[in-house]
Amino acid sequence: MGLGGIFLASSALSPVAAQELAGDPEVGRKLSGQCRTCHGLEGFARIPIAPHIGGEPASYIARQLTAFRDGTREHEMMSVVAKSLSDQQIADLAAWYSGHQATASLNADPMDAPSACISCHGEDGIALVEDAPNLAGETVPYIDTQLKAFRLGKRTHQIMSEIAAELTDEEIREIAEWYASIGLEIELVE
Amino acid sequence: MKSLSVTTAALALMASVATAQSNLDKMRGVQTTGTSYGPQFIEQGGEKAERIRRSLEAITMPDGFKIDLYAVVPDARHMAVAPQGTVMWVGTRKTDIYTVTDRDRDRVADEVEPYASPIDYNVPNGLCISKDGFLYSVEANRVLVYPAAEFFWENPDVAVDVVVPQGELIPPEEESFNHGARVCKIGPDNKLYISLGQPYNVPPKDKLDLYNEWGIGGIIRMDRDGSNREVYTRGVRNSVGHDFHPETGDLWFTDNQVDGMGDDIPPGELNHQTAMGQNFGFPWYGGGTVRTNEYMDEEIPDGVVNPAVETVAHAADLGMMFYTGKMFPAEYKNAIFSAQHGSWNRTTPVGARLMVTTIDEEGNATMKPFAEGWIDENGEYTGRPVDIAQLGDGSIIVSDDFAGALYRISYEAPAQ
Repeated sequence: MGLGGIFLASSALSPVAAQELAGDPEVGRKLSGQCRTCHGLEGFARIPIAPHIGGEPASYIARQLTAFRDGTREHEMMSVVAKSLSDQQIADLAAWYSGHQATASLNADPMDAPSACISCHGEDGIALVEDAPNLAGETVPYIDTQLKAFRLGKRTHQIMSEIAAELTDEEIREIAEWYASIGLEIELVE
Repeated sequence: MKSLSVTTAALALMASVATAQSNLDKMRGVQTTGTSYGPQFIEQGGEKAERIRRSLEAITMPDGFKIDLYAVVPDARHMAVAPQGTVMWVGTRKTDIYTVTDRDRDRVADEVEPYASPIDYNVPNGLCISKDGFLYSVEANRVLVYPAAEFFWENPDVAVDVVVPQGELIPPEEESFNHGARVCKIGPDNKLYISLGQPYNVPPKDKLDLYNEWGIGGIIRMDRDGSNREVYTRGVRNSVGHDFHPETGDLWFTDNQVDGMGDDIPPGELNHQTAMGQNFGFPWYGGGTVRTNEYMDEEIPDGVVNPAVETVAHAADLGMMFYTGKMFPAEYKNAIFSAQHGSWNRTTPVGARLMVTTIDEEGNATMKPFAEGWIDENGEYTGRPVDIAQLGDGSIIVSDDFAGALYRISYEAPAQ
């Protein structure tokens, strides 16, 4: 039921140039030197503030980096890093990080998964649609911050802004704890 | 169709929500939360501990100093040591505070476990304890106090009260995860001092009045019950470490400076404050006396104080403390030990080390490296020091949120 809206939303997104380019994962791996202190070489985050990006779809990574570069998404650190990236470099980074496999291990009853989220982000936090990021193993403060940013309008997305607008602080916490408690492994796909 | 599913989902969610506030309220009312009381100890041995010990073999320090693994503590950030030394607390940038105990006093921790686990913490980075044993936890947007914390910490339901309610430390719409890690200390005036990083790399001009009013981009102080809040320090970007000089009582603090101006500018800062309300120059200066592009044409406020020490750019100077112990040689008495967390996007990483700053009789500060070696031959971090605390025997404890560990540094005079 919710998926119809998702595809509609995807097609409504403005085109991202880097998505049209073929990225070179080997070049991306070298470029990731400026990412790894926070996101890890393979996209498994090394600090709580940063999300795990290994295994996200190339289009998702390219779209977010482009948004940071163009100022449509803001973050104190990411806006600085993305500012100087070319479309090709974004495509290369997207190729490197998307060339990993993210595997979640859920140790709770999937029936308890937050129903507002699962049609896109999955019960185990591995996204079911390309427009949504994986949430498995992200920290509580990270998910909490993003949902509140959507609720306040600091970050916008056709679907997330609407969903977050209706959430209370307690509901946000509940959602964040669900996804934070899921185990995550990220491996390079050879 | 979508709206309908969202509403249904939200209703379903609400039914399953157990509010965090209620656990805190129960504990304030000295009721039980029903949290099962059983050990949730963090594994202290095994492969992880061995790997950390091996990484410490690369650390270099002046003669006579020795570094050992003290405890495995996930995400270890800022620390508070109980006055009688029975326990220490370690904050994180996630959702846990840990207690660390060394019951047999062999100077290696034997138990590490979550503290007050029924409380839903959000970035409980800042911890400090008063001489009379009140522990304070400072989260992104809340301050709690735990009376007699040293004696009531083993049960998950602890004695707790609210100093600054959720959402009142800063306006909730100014919350950000970045620069939301606070630190605190009890000053010589018995007030509670709290650093409030501002959320931006360089804040937009239309935010300055609001931030000035709240002390965001500064350090605030208040009575220990939360009353009489005032802005003590202004013109700070994101300070994540401060302490009071043991003799003068002056506040000294580190500050993290602007990103995106190149690898080598602007410098980081160690600052020395001598009076309430002093302004340390941000955002007109991005660090040291380097002007920010955004405020290049703005007039600098009168009386801006320059740093006591300019540190290497992007090294991320965080936790600091004055050394008052008796174990280390005399030259370290009242010296500042501080941690450089390490740069995050500099071409060649810098930092990830401990610094020591001595202050001469005229008050001039000189900083030099004390412990180095957490960057390996590939330029990758093996550890990232965050904070420093002192144990009763005069040894110091260093927290590392990258390795997830506490280290103990001790001294024994080299054989002649």
